[in-house]
Amino acid sequence: MTATAEAGVVRVLQPPASAPTIVARGVRVSYGQTVALDGVDLDARPGEVLALLGHSGSGKSTLMKSFTGMAPATAEELTVAGRDVLAQRGTALRALRADVGHVFQHFNLVPNLSAIANVLTGGLHRAGPYNLVGGFGSTQRREALALLHRVGIGDKARRQARSLSGGEQQRVAIARALMQRPKVILADEPVASLDPRLAGSVLSLLRDIAIEQQIPVIVSLHVVDLARRHADRVVGLRAGRTVFAGPAGALTDGAAREIYGEDGEFGA
Amino acid sequence: MPEAPTRPSPADATKDELRLTRAVQVPGVGGLAGVVAVIAIVAWSVAGSDFSIERFVTGMPRMGEFLVRLWPPDFGRFGLIVELLIETLQMAVVGTLIGAVLSLFLSFAAASNISPPWLYASSRFVLNVLRSIPELIFALMFVSAVGLGPFAGILALVLGSIGTIGKIYAEAMESVPSGPLDALTSAGASKRQVITYGVVPQASPLLVSYTLLLFEGNVRGATILGLVGAGGIGMELTTAMRLYDYGHLLAIILSIIVLVTVIDRLSAIIRKKIT
Repeated sequence: MTATAEAGVVRVLQPPASAPTIVARGVRVSYGQTVALDGVDLDARPGEVLALLGHSGSGKSTLMKSFTGMAPATAEELTVAGRDVLAQRGTALRALRADVGHVFQHFNLVPNLSAIANVLTGGLHRAGPYNLVGGFGSTQRREALALLHRVGIGDKARRQARSLSGGEQQRVAIARALMQRPKVILADEPVASLDPRLAGSVLSLLRDIAIEQQIPVIVSLHVVDLARRHADRVVGLRAGRTVFAGPAGALTDGAAREIYGEDGEFGA
Repeated sequence: MPEAPTRPSPADATKDELRLTRAVQVPGVGGLAGVVAVIAIVAWSVAGSDFSIERFVTGMPRMGEFLVRLWPPDFGRFGLIVELLIETLQMAVVGTLIGAVLSLFLSFAAASNISPPWLYASSRFVLNVLRSIPELIFALMFVSAVGLGPFAGILALVLGSIGTIGKIYAEAMESVPSGPLDALTSAGASKRQVITYGVVPQASPLLVSYTLLLFEGNVRGATILGLVGAGGIGMELTTAMRLYDYGHLLAIILSIIVLVTVIDRLSAIIRKKIT
């Protein structure tokens, strides 16, 4: 049968699951005289959670920004979802950004739109001509509602974002990122504004999503223990340089001190 | 190691804390200069504008006489008054609606977080010009362009509305938190989509509230436009004044007061509900 034959061909053409979605080699970013990143290497593979650890100012946010062309970076190689980030401009850069889902520390939802409307805004880049008159098609609405159910708050779809708790808002933000059908999710301090119990549940949700969607999730954190519990691999940054890279299990207290310095207030 | 911030010497710190605990807080040099400047400006304005409490006091009896002559109100032509008040209200409704829509578009261009600098500067200039021209002047212009009647008044209200509210709309857009806008941009939304789904929803409670205030102002404004023949109750008001038809005049004024009060109350209730 032709259908099975085609399916077979597709399977053959698919890259092996281990090919990295993000390849970064020697990423450098400087703002004037200040060097924010000084030659950082990183790979992120489908299905894994990669934690970035470091003090504020160590370059975690700058590294994430460089993946979507939001920081003035140079690099030997910087590939995201098969595209050379540094070569993208205009529409191509917008298309690349649409492929990268973001989750923020302060959620960054539009507070007086409903939860489902916030999720729908994640699909704006492919909303099509229907959106010119200000609406979303019912296919998109069904997809958004399904995503809200996926993150566990389908019953709150009509609620204004501002009326939701912090943990619920971050779940809406994750659903919005998924609405982009992202090839990678970047989460910059996603749990720094949440209490510890909610922090754990949001991080395990991100881990489940990495596996289900077979995309890498990069999370910056400042609590070493959360990285140990919820990440597969860890990259530690200090003053713009990589000082640790390895599986989460290898992140010893000694390695943590290397990342945070001897005064080590690195959280329990 | 994080660097220790430079602290004031302990002696300075205690002196500063002592000052903070005093019952009388002496304003700083800047504060004192501000007070002096305000006093100087008020004194200068009083001297220049021929302000005189004495003449006000001696003129009081004549004001009383005028008010006595107005009394009693004559509601003999109440039907006409109601008809003209309704026309005034209709002018305000249409003028506010069109004015608000045009202001909204102009305010996108006049908001610094949305608009490129050249567009920002030129639209701010247009708004400043519109704001510095009184509505009555617009009314005179439109009366000679489209003839006497309420249509000329509506056009005057539209331009007046843009002058009043355009800048305020623009500032409401500028005050919107930027985090959600960054999130939309990084999700691949276009500029137009960021405005539609990020800026406008966040600014909307303020926009609605300001529009209701504008409507209140336009109801009051529309009662005056008749002075130059641009429709509404103003024409009847001026005629009654010229003909010394005082009973009718007072009836008109009382009716205007009732209408404006009712509109103000309703609008206040709505504004309270939405914010």
